[in-house]
Amino acid sequence: MRIVPRRHSYEGLAGGLLAAPAAACLIFFIALPFLAALFLSFTNYRLGSPLPLEFAGLRQYARIFGDPGFIRALLNNALFALLVVPVQTALALALAVLVNRRLRGIAVFRTIFFAPVVFPLSLVAVVFTLIFAPGAQGTFNGLLELLTLGAWEPVDFLHHPWLALPAIMVTSIWQGVGFQMVVLLAGLQDIPRQLYDAAIVDGAGPWQCFRHVTLPLLRGPLIFVMIVTTILSFRVFDQVRIMTGGGPHHASTTVLFESVQAAFDRGWVARGAAMAVIFFVMVLAVTLIQRRLARQERT
Amino acid sequence: MGSFDMDPIHVERLRQNSPGYGGKLGPLAALALLLACSSLAVACEAGKSEKGAGILKVWCHSGRAEEREVIRRLVQEFNESSADLRVSLTIIPEGSYNGQVQAAALAGDLPDVLELDGPFVAGYAWRGYIAAIGERVGGELREDLLSSIVEQGTWGGELYSLAMFDSGLGLYARRGELEQAGARIPASAGEAWTISEFEALLENLAARDEDGAVLDLKLNYRGEWYTYAFSPAIQSAGGDLIGRGEGGKARGVLDGPQSVRVLRRFQSWFEKGRVDPNLDDRAFVAGRATLSWAGHWEYARYKQASGEDLVVLPLPDFGDGSRTGQGSWVWSVTTSCERPAEAMRFLRFLAEPGSILSMCAANGAVPATHTALRRSELYRDDGPLRLFSAQLTGGWSVPRPETPAYPVISSVFEEAFQRIRDGADVTRTLCEAAAVIDREVRDNRGYPER
Repeated sequence: MRIVPRRHSYEGLAGGLLAAPAAACLIFFIALPFLAALFLSFTNYRLGSPLPLEFAGLRQYARIFGDPGFIRALLNNALFALLVVPVQTALALALAVLVNRRLRGIAVFRTIFFAPVVFPLSLVAVVFTLIFAPGAQGTFNGLLELLTLGAWEPVDFLHHPWLALPAIMVTSIWQGVGFQMVVLLAGLQDIPRQLYDAAIVDGAGPWQCFRHVTLPLLRGPLIFVMIVTTILSFRVFDQVRIMTGGGPHHASTTVLFESVQAAFDRGWVARGAAMAVIFFVMVLAVTLIQRRLARQERT
Repeated sequence: MGSFDMDPIHVERLRQNSPGYGGKLGPLAALALLLACSSLAVACEAGKSEKGAGILKVWCHSGRAEEREVIRRLVQEFNESSADLRVSLTIIPEGSYNGQVQAAALAGDLPDVLELDGPFVAGYAWRGYIAAIGERVGGELREDLLSSIVEQGTWGGELYSLAMFDSGLGLYARRGELEQAGARIPASAGEAWTISEFEALLENLAARDEDGAVLDLKLNYRGEWYTYAFSPAIQSAGGDLIGRGEGGKARGVLDGPQSVRVLRRFQSWFEKGRVDPNLDDRAFVAGRATLSWAGHWEYARYKQASGEDLVVLPLPDFGDGSRTGQGSWVWSVTTSCERPAEAMRFLRFLAEPGSILSMCAANGAVPATHTALRRSELYRDDGPLRLFSAQLTGGWSVPRPETPAYPVISSVFEEAFQRIRDGADVTRTLCEAAAVIDREVRDNRGYPER
């Protein structure tokens, strides 16, 4: 009995020590910069300005909410998450089910589907810029022309008011789906074989197996995948910067893109900080809602 | 104009430019890794140890590999020839160059000598990063510098920078194709095509072309290109980006009737499909486009592709005479430099004809002094690129606005140009752009002297 509390406090100390580097990183690189951003968003701070720093109240917030580009960025982010999260999750699940078989050379397929995750996003964006090239020489235009037997009129995807954002979505899904596939695949392989055998003995078909065995047992990984995809889809930036520059006419801009453009291209650090604060609140809210929903379902 | 070899991926550059992380920092870096989070701080600290007597810290941007090689060699030559002064060179990737300088200035850690992109001179001078060097330059060198270099380096009546080279901007074409279309071939900026001549030629060429996209505007570039390349068109019509001189406003200028008319023309070229999107940067060399609106840096590649057939032409005259761009990377002495006289010695060495010519051989730019210009095979009076040098010395070039607001002007104009390309209403787009620029000037209280 005497040993227990001692070991306990020793473990507490060790735990604290082991957690310290990570906690320090979180404090120095996440918490403090965020507090700094919160502070800066209420000032008129501009990069390198020799004029004295002034308290600007809510002026930055008033300005960005009066900026049609930023409003569009908020809408685009919401639309992006609304479309990409379900599509990418469903696609990842389909791929995971496909590659979760005992086939000769299945590892090759798994590798192929996973490979895009390894490529840097900037590289993928450059390649997709070429794939979405306008005119008949563009790969995607060419493919659509072939599939529609020549009925497709080639368009300039990345400069099209309605197609620029979907083009970025396609790029993102192609690049990211492999990661979710692997997570779901791990989940699938955790499902005991006997459950399927039992279901089949009970007369279940493939769809019923999937619906009543696979899906319920994959809940944890699915919720994880959806939360991660949501956060990642709010962070979309590289593709926008490289493929469209937010255009045409803000059609494919995102909050992060607007924030980086303000702070680093134009030196408006305070404005960029205000956007970052709004962005943070937005992601926090979505994550909390998702967690709440996930928990409710479990009970 | 910096170099426009704009690969979006700076991997190679990043790797080239982490001085000290490997060699002498080996053990330190290992330790830093162990301390995970603090690794960056440690690496930054180590650079400081070089400060000592007789050492001049110099920062420059990492251009193409050939440029880096030349600047390294020049520094080595300088160090060998001077017993009491040693230059320690740090090469920084172009993409993050401005950011690094800002960060160093905030930390009070600027080097002694700094390379910077020409249009940033006003901003750096206003912020107090760089010092006026007019008196130290002396009459002889000042006389020898191209007027465009002096113009670009001057802010508030003071000279803040020197340069080794300037840039050239024009139209590239193939003589054979122009002759087939029956086009006149202008030999100097004074003979430039009028805009109606140019537009008639576009239609004429398009009629012979497979897809009608005969003009290459380098739409594959990002960033600075749009202001550099297309504000001369506006100026050629009598418009501008912002009113020049004290208290100049963008309202009434950038959205004035001349500017609107010019950009409407550009928009009509886009709408008619005359402009090649040039995603692969090969529109001209692959023969898809007949005319390429491009800078001096394309000469070598175009020459290789088209040989003797290549001609270099002035930009079209939009009504007020042909205009072209100017300006490139320049050198300044920082305000934190404790030995400005010695820093100047290094700048003088860089401005010697030998140094200039070896740099220009590497990047193809226009030599910044008359002496070097006369000795340059490309740019002397009978050289193939004499048009570019004549444009700079003959007053056909317009510097980008010399105001601390420049980075905002440039970014806003790029966005406006893209919107116009995508079909937005020209007047409205330019009005909005002008409003943002004027707000920036107002926010900074008109950039009062400190």
